[in-house]
Amino acid sequence: MSAYEYDAVVIGGGVSGIMASLTLASEGFKTALVSRGDPVCCLSTGCIDVFSHSDKPLGGIRALLPDHPYSLVGEKGIVDALCFFLEIMNEAGLPYEGDPGRNRKILTPIGSVKNTCLVPQSMAHADMPPGEYFHVISFQGIKDFFPSYLTSRHRNSTYSVYDAGVPTTLGIAARFDDATFLDAFITWLRGLEIPHDRVALPAVLGTIDPASAMEKISRAVGRKVFEIPTLPPSVPGLRLFRALKRVMQNRGIHLYWGKEVTSVERQGHTIEAVTLATTGRAKRVQGRAFVLATGSFVSGGLFAGRDSVRETVFDLPVAVPGERKDWFNTDFFSAGHSIERAGVRVDRSFRPAGAKIDNLFACGSILAECEIMSFQCGHGLAVATGVAAAKSCAQGLS
Amino acid sequence: MTTFEHCVRCTLCVENCPVFKVNPAFPGPKQAGPDAQRFRLDGERSVDDWVRLCSQCQRCQVACPYGVNVSEIILKAQLKYSHEHMSPFAAHLFANTYHLGKLGSLAAPITNAVTSSAATRKIMGVLGLATNLPMPKYRFFSLNRGRRRKGRRRASRKVVFFHGCYLGFNRPDIGRGIRDLLAGLGCRVVIPGQTCCGLPALGNGDLEIAKRFARKNARMLVEYIDRGYRVVYACTSCGLTLVHDYPEVLELPEGRKIAENTYNVHELILDLLENDAPDVEFGEVDRTAAYHIPCHLKALGIGYPAAGIFEKIPGLKIAILDDNCCGLAGSYGFKKKNQQTAEKLGTISAFAIKTLEPDALISDCGACRMQLGHYTGLPVLDPSEVIIASLEKGASKESRGKRRIP
Repeated sequence: MSAYEYDAVVIGGGVSGIMASLTLASEGFKTALVSRGDPVCCLSTGCIDVFSHSDKPLGGIRALLPDHPYSLVGEKGIVDALCFFLEIMNEAGLPYEGDPGRNRKILTPIGSVKNTCLVPQSMAHADMPPGEYFHVISFQGIKDFFPSYLTSRHRNSTYSVYDAGVPTTLGIAARFDDATFLDAFITWLRGLEIPHDRVALPAVLGTIDPASAMEKISRAVGRKVFEIPTLPPSVPGLRLFRALKRVMQNRGIHLYWGKEVTSVERQGHTIEAVTLATTGRAKRVQGRAFVLATGSFVSGGLFAGRDSVRETVFDLPVAVPGERKDWFNTDFFSAGHSIERAGVRVDRSFRPAGAKIDNLFACGSILAECEIMSFQCGHGLAVATGVAAAKSCAQGLS
Repeated sequence: MTTFEHCVRCTLCVENCPVFKVNPAFPGPKQAGPDAQRFRLDGERSVDDWVRLCSQCQRCQVACPYGVNVSEIILKAQLKYSHEHMSPFAAHLFANTYHLGKLGSLAAPITNAVTSSAATRKIMGVLGLATNLPMPKYRFFSLNRGRRRKGRRRASRKVVFFHGCYLGFNRPDIGRGIRDLLAGLGCRVVIPGQTCCGLPALGNGDLEIAKRFARKNARMLVEYIDRGYRVVYACTSCGLTLVHDYPEVLELPEGRKIAENTYNVHELILDLLENDAPDVEFGEVDRTAAYHIPCHLKALGIGYPAAGIFEKIPGLKIAILDDNCCGLAGSYGFKKKNQQTAEKLGTISAFAIKTLEPDALISDCGACRMQLGHYTGLPVLDPSEVIIASLEKGASKESRGKRRIP
């Protein structure tokens, strides 16, 4: 069966791949996205860390070495890409806020504070002035969320526990979608007569849109309300992914989900098609250009053998920092294992360097030197390079 | 091939499990699948009764980025458990939906009156059947009656239509519509005598019955394939059984061959429209519809081919919904022990659909349509019904000299 030819085929369903495909579709190109499964973004806090290693993301990026992928995008490119992301999230009905010039603080489930740049509205009030009092609501039996951790680290806080009937974050979130459950919860909450300035809950306020539940609660108790991201399974991560997926589908991007790319058809300097390991019979997806956004080791874009690192779809050359003995620090928790720098090097047009392929572009955490763990810049880098690589791809197409 | 040992415990499968979301008694696909698999031994009797709470929607397997066959592990554990323990009456009944359908359609008006009577529904409740949804209505003029062959005998494209039980006994009108549509697009279509694909038997823990059904179908399908036919399915669950379970779970020797030659009907139509009949004209359809993607279409991994056809229909506005399972999962939701799970999931899906304020609901799966039609109150359509309606309108503009679709 001969395949339909797409203008662009994006490989990888994480934030960078999604942002790349949305950019291409918004420029009028017929786009397909293939992914072998759900992205790690579903397990994330749902926040967009642009550069959380310092208080000022753009300032921190300026100080990076010139071979960091951010420098290929440039400051204006980064800001534009983040604005595009904010627009998309508005369209998706899951608005985000934040300012690329300044990081904000969010509360973590162990009571520490974390820098991040763009947050879903449900976490907007997490950035508290020092000395404000807050009350934590936890749920009976909920896993990996211990309010006493939080209160032991913040003297100006207290907590109460509600029985939602189910102990899991996903289960509780599904119950919050139901108006009668929400009303019962609000009645209970009012009964507590909380004297504090703010109310904090684990991120379980509904699976799709936490805004309406939050507003109802906030109005009923007359306090600012915010969510605290939880350990995986993470509801805000899932909301982010599903919201982005909705926009992709609304914009006519075709998704091929759950099957990996098993082979690539290359003709000279051009990739012509990829084949998916579809159940029963392989599926060929044909395109004029391809964007590689398969992520790093954890997402399977890179595979580390004993002594070498391999790029798993196109077998592109991978830049590796030294020999295996140099890859890791002896102290596991110290920032910066040099293996983090491994990845695909790209030229200024985001084409993989040294691959001699004209219609292939790479973005996201598969890029060399990105060190997303050290700099805490995962989603920000994904958004910025996803949009930039797609723009370069669009130029190549037209 | 990856196995339970490749699971990194990331919980992406858990995030996608509909049953886990609403039923705390089910520990979720990670624990029921790869985690528990470490402790399952062939020679030891199964003790994990909760494994039967899995509805086999396969969303876990689609979500898993490491390619772990989560739902297949669970299915095999379900089969082992059922083999070693007494199955409830409802399971025996639903394993044989084909025979029920055959009898039901033979005595259609009586069956329909009986299954909808209050007394019968009381008895059904006692026998462990759910009574919240009306039972599907049977049609006497089933697909195995009437015209079984259509299209030019010498056509270069030959297809054999595996329609499955639901279109066969309950909605033969949709089946005939698909037969005529494919013939109109230039195919030779055959509707062969066929039995149940075997999925209801697998889902109800009866491997032997599933194999019996599957072997019959496999023999028949291979004969056609050898004569140059392609197999086409419209029911996505039947399709998944043919391409996945025949070779992998039931281990039929013909399984591979069947899998390689089997196509989703919309995949085929899209191909015909691109290559054989590019000048077909679609008429305007003024509709805003929600397109609910059945779990098993997702699991097939072929994308959403019907959505590709909808793009060609002027005036048709589609919102794709693929994050929720309708909850019925074939016969799963018709069992009393799963009734609450099915109800909760049906309500969640219906809520997401209704916020879009569509005027109709489209879905490839008959069971999804039954369940969501009930919970949304919207008119429900098979994708082919929408396509045919549009083509009929397009064909009436024949004066413009475009190709005509019967």
